[in-house]
Amino acid sequence: MGVDIGDLFRWEKISFKDLHDRVIVIDAHNVLYQFISSIRQRDGTPLKNSKGEMTSHLSGIFHRTANLVESKIRPVYVFDGIPPPLKAKTLEERRKRKELAEKEWQEALEAGDLEKARVKAQQTSRVTDEIINQSKELLKALGIPYIQAPSEGEAQASYMVRKGDAYAVGSQDYDCLLIGTPILIRNLTSSGRRKLPGKEAYTKVHLRQIRLKSSLKLLGITHKQLVDMAILIGTDFNDGIRGIGPKKSLNLIIKNGNVENAIAKIGGDNVPSIEEIKEIRKIFLKPSVTDDYSIEWPGLDKESVLKILCDTHQFKKERVAPALEKYSNVENMMKQKTLF
Amino acid sequence: MFNAKVKSEVLKGIIDVTSPLVNEVKLNISPKGISLRAVDPAHVAMVDLAVKDKAFEEYKATDMELGIDMDKFGGIMRLSSSGDMVSLEYDEETNRLIVKIGNLVRKMGLIDTAGMPDPKMPNLSLPAKIVLKASEISQGVRASEAVSDHLALTVSKDNFELSAEGDTDTVNLKLPKDLLVELNATSKSRSLFSIDYFSNMIKPVKGEDPITIQIGNDNPIKVEFDIAEKKGHVTYLLAPRIESE
Repeated sequence: MGVDIGDLFRWEKISFKDLHDRVIVIDAHNVLYQFISSIRQRDGTPLKNSKGEMTSHLSGIFHRTANLVESKIRPVYVFDGIPPPLKAKTLEERRKRKELAEKEWQEALEAGDLEKARVKAQQTSRVTDEIINQSKELLKALGIPYIQAPSEGEAQASYMVRKGDAYAVGSQDYDCLLIGTPILIRNLTSSGRRKLPGKEAYTKVHLRQIRLKSSLKLLGITHKQLVDMAILIGTDFNDGIRGIGPKKSLNLIIKNGNVENAIAKIGGDNVPSIEEIKEIRKIFLKPSVTDDYSIEWPGLDKESVLKILCDTHQFKKERVAPALEKYSNVENMMKQKTLF
Repeated sequence: MFNAKVKSEVLKGIIDVTSPLVNEVKLNISPKGISLRAVDPAHVAMVDLAVKDKAFEEYKATDMELGIDMDKFGGIMRLSSSGDMVSLEYDEETNRLIVKIGNLVRKMGLIDTAGMPDPKMPNLSLPAKIVLKASEISQGVRASEAVSDHLALTVSKDNFELSAEGDTDTVNLKLPKDLLVELNATSKSRSLFSIDYFSNMIKPVKGEDPITIQIGNDNPIKVEFDIAEKKGHVTYLLAPRIESE
């Protein structure tokens, strides 16, 4: 969603086994969006219960988290708090785009264009308060810990890794790198395959890891300079400068040292002000986070899970049961105490 | 500066002790020897290791840190056979460790140690202490692996007991005081531990070599032993598991 700087970094292919016994903080907003946009039927209709309410997020949380705990990974979800004020414009734009996509989805459906319908339907995906609350309720029943961030979820997640309470952050969002996540893992909650756009074909999705420090070293820039780079390209908090992508931006920052000097060099009118630059840097370099959390494993509450999934949302019991079995691992994990 | 020559076994010993817990370690180098302390990512176990300069055939060093990828280093050391002399040299310019085994020169890139944590040793009061030969306990641990994923260790006034319980099978190993090198306990202490972790902790000690174990009630265990022909020492801490209801 944020800055597309992934191509600049060196990705390591890893496997679930490499994450065995490790605590991974999952950016809840990011994966929920992933679930509600991707767990859909061919024409783009999301999974629904008998009342017509969306259940894609519950299916995603339940089945994908089951895969993690089966691999002895210890997931902790972090939910977004109040967004930084500078994000208001981005959020408003997203809302408008989604309304437009909603209209286009219906039009595509009427025209019988399934491919377009699916794409447009995915674009309508919105992580609503209801989706968040239902997800939290399900996590609680599953015995999977979640933490409420004061502001951006990825900032809190990244902080927990820097503190040594977790090994890595699981997210698809490169903004995690801007916010200083030491190790970012992508595709942690993916289905293992991704549909190729415009084709009835799928490509295999691998687990990938990126280490911030060594990546920055390879690029020859500091963390602060990475943020400056992003400001030039455009972030969730500012429009970028027209015509500047990741590669150009990298060269500009290396040549000029920081974003102020780079802007002075290239000129133009649609550039962020000094105040804006300061504010954006603060969001990424000194984000609002909290120490007020604990990571505990209260154990699986089987009855509540069945009630939520099967009674309230009409999931098929025979499909729920085998995945639910995988959560028995969580009870085992929780019995293991930690040193600190 | 770091420039040393050492028998392959000493380095392999350090790798055996460390790599089951952590992939990346910060090796603290000083004129007196090398040391490291690391916690596994799940915060379940800690390893603290010190090897004196005397364990090396040749040793010259100033205070510094080396960030080592243990998997990679382990792979390099597997190229050596026991008895081989290995020379280590830090190349500051390229931030690499130059490893020489016979005529083989292997330059290994090092990891940035800046963000790596310095874990503190937690304060523990563990009332029961035993010292026993590695061979006495390793059999019991091996037997337990087939039965459960956790085992119970109990120290009472007169004996040490290891037991594991599965759904249908059980293991019990009871060692009276006279089979132990030392037993020091005034009351009964019992804690449960993951076999995976515990078995990795005692695996590096072989045969007659002594292992010191300290436990309490539902408290971490402290496991200690010497390496590098007694010129090095290892301390492990392992958090307990909670008893099932």
